[in-house]
Amino acid sequence: MNYNLRITPEGTKDYLFKECTAVNYVCKKIEKIFINHQFHQVITPGLEFFDLFSAESSGISQESMFKTSDNSSRIVVVRPDSTLPIARLVTTRLQNEVFPVRLYYNQPVYRNNPGLTGRSNEIIQLGVELIGSTGKRADIEVITTAVESMSAVSDNFRLEIGHSQIFNALSDELEADENQKELIKTYIENKNYSALNDCLDKLHQNEITAAIRSLPSLFGGDEVFEKAENIIKSKKALQAIDYLKSLYQMLQSLNLGDKLSLDLGLVQRNEYYSGIVFSGYILGYGDAVLSGGRYDKIFDKTDIPMGAAGFAININHIAEKARYKSRKNLPEVLVFAKSDDSVMKAVEYTAKLVKEGVKAQFSDLSDEKEAREFAEKLGIKEFVII
Amino acid sequence: MKPLRIALTKGRLEKKTIELFEKLGYNCDEVHNKGRKLIMNIGDGEFEVVLAKAADVITYVEHGVCDLGVVGKDTILENGSSFYELLDLGFGKCRFALAGRKNVDFYHGYGSKTVATKYPNVTRKFFESKNMDVRVIKIEGSVELAPLVGLSDGIVDIVETGSTLKANNLEVKDYVTDISARLIANTASLKLRKHEIEDLVSKMEAVTINDNNSNS
Repeated sequence: MNYNLRITPEGTKDYLFKECTAVNYVCKKIEKIFINHQFHQVITPGLEFFDLFSAESSGISQESMFKTSDNSSRIVVVRPDSTLPIARLVTTRLQNEVFPVRLYYNQPVYRNNPGLTGRSNEIIQLGVELIGSTGKRADIEVITTAVESMSAVSDNFRLEIGHSQIFNALSDELEADENQKELIKTYIENKNYSALNDCLDKLHQNEITAAIRSLPSLFGGDEVFEKAENIIKSKKALQAIDYLKSLYQMLQSLNLGDKLSLDLGLVQRNEYYSGIVFSGYILGYGDAVLSGGRYDKIFDKTDIPMGAAGFAININHIAEKARYKSRKNLPEVLVFAKSDDSVMKAVEYTAKLVKEGVKAQFSDLSDEKEAREFAEKLGIKEFVII
Repeated sequence: MKPLRIALTKGRLEKKTIELFEKLGYNCDEVHNKGRKLIMNIGDGEFEVVLAKAADVITYVEHGVCDLGVVGKDTILENGSSFYELLDLGFGKCRFALAGRKNVDFYHGYGSKTVATKYPNVTRKFFESKNMDVRVIKIEGSVELAPLVGLSDGIVDIVETGSTLKANNLEVKDYVTDISARLIANTASLKLRKHEIEDLVSKMEAVTINDNNSNS
């Protein structure tokens, strides 16, 4: 017996009834927000060239992509991320568009996670990309759209914002080699205080090392700014902090309370972020369900350098946890044709009922007893014979 | 308020962590008289403790079903990926070392080496950082046997006193890294329950720093 015929590959699953309802419910709610804000849907191919996701530009490791080859033996990957394909699409096909363009997507991404960890390899993602604009207004719009989306599907969420240039500026001024800088970045990302301290202890101590040492603990409410301004002296880093502060103050008018917080040590693994970065969390799920930021860098090397920002939401995890009304969609009437001669009449009658808004179902069974049993088992109240 | 749930590595780290909680003034009677219970309360319901094997502590924390965990750095290096490492608790100290037969230069010659270990990921990373290709063989127990019977040129393992090595005519060739117990936190938990977790961390930090100073 080939058991592969009976199971799905690790990290994937079938979605049945209530699970589909939950996924659709979450998707529709968020999609409606995107559409109302005039974002337009695009669908990119499930397969892309491996080259598009090179480690420097994507930050996605080679091991975590599903790879195959095309008919010319070029390596292609099963879409691991939607932002880079959309950037490709914009630079090649939307050059003559009126910018900024506002795009959204609703498509799964695939990651080859290590086995037996219980992680999903297939993640349904919804996201927006606001391409062709820079500055505060664009950043505000992307963040508020993220807030609206999270509020629509969860009562208890946190959105945390930071700025990629805080760490980048400090890292540029740090006297250390690239390997050490890379390590330091990982330690800050993982809030690994002890390893970070060990690594910094080996370097020449100055105000930069002191600032980097404090970064992972600089998260929370607006008290973070005061702490940061006391420790961080780098001009560039302070500029980024000032910018973040002004955004944060503007966002206070949304009255989100502690749903909105700050993390000055937030560094996203993707190298392409160049400005604000943010992550969203919901109660009961152990990892970020939303991540995004400004990624002007992606377009730097293209024919049309420009600003861009966006975010992606992982729907699966929200659908598992989110409140949703799930009722099994049962027919009210079962229409049975007593002979082959009346089949067409019965089909037409069912169609008429459906048109009138009645949940009617045509019975495919040819035996009346079987059909009645079927109706009884499902709890269909009305049985009509034609 | 829901208690913070902490996963502890069964055995020595569990004992040391409970001692630490008692030093902080929390009532740990339920852990001492646990019987067959798997989830126990500490203090007045501020914390819940679960006991697990080392690698499982990481799994529970990564998935967010436990907010915090206490686990050795060895396990983190071998299995870790996405969580926050908040504090070096200062106990459970030992070292990862490369060992081989006495009076034999492990690095000598052009032939590629074979290394036996319980920690293949740590081993692979260590030799990658030395730009060396080695054959790594995973062994489940008593790794010291492998070089003695000729399966491998060396071993990478945890060394505490070095007495097992000595008794088998082996010696440390290189230190890979220091190890001690760490407090880890789930990414989302730290964000959603910042104040409670930071409060505990700063209390623990104060005690562990004190202990380390009085030891030295």
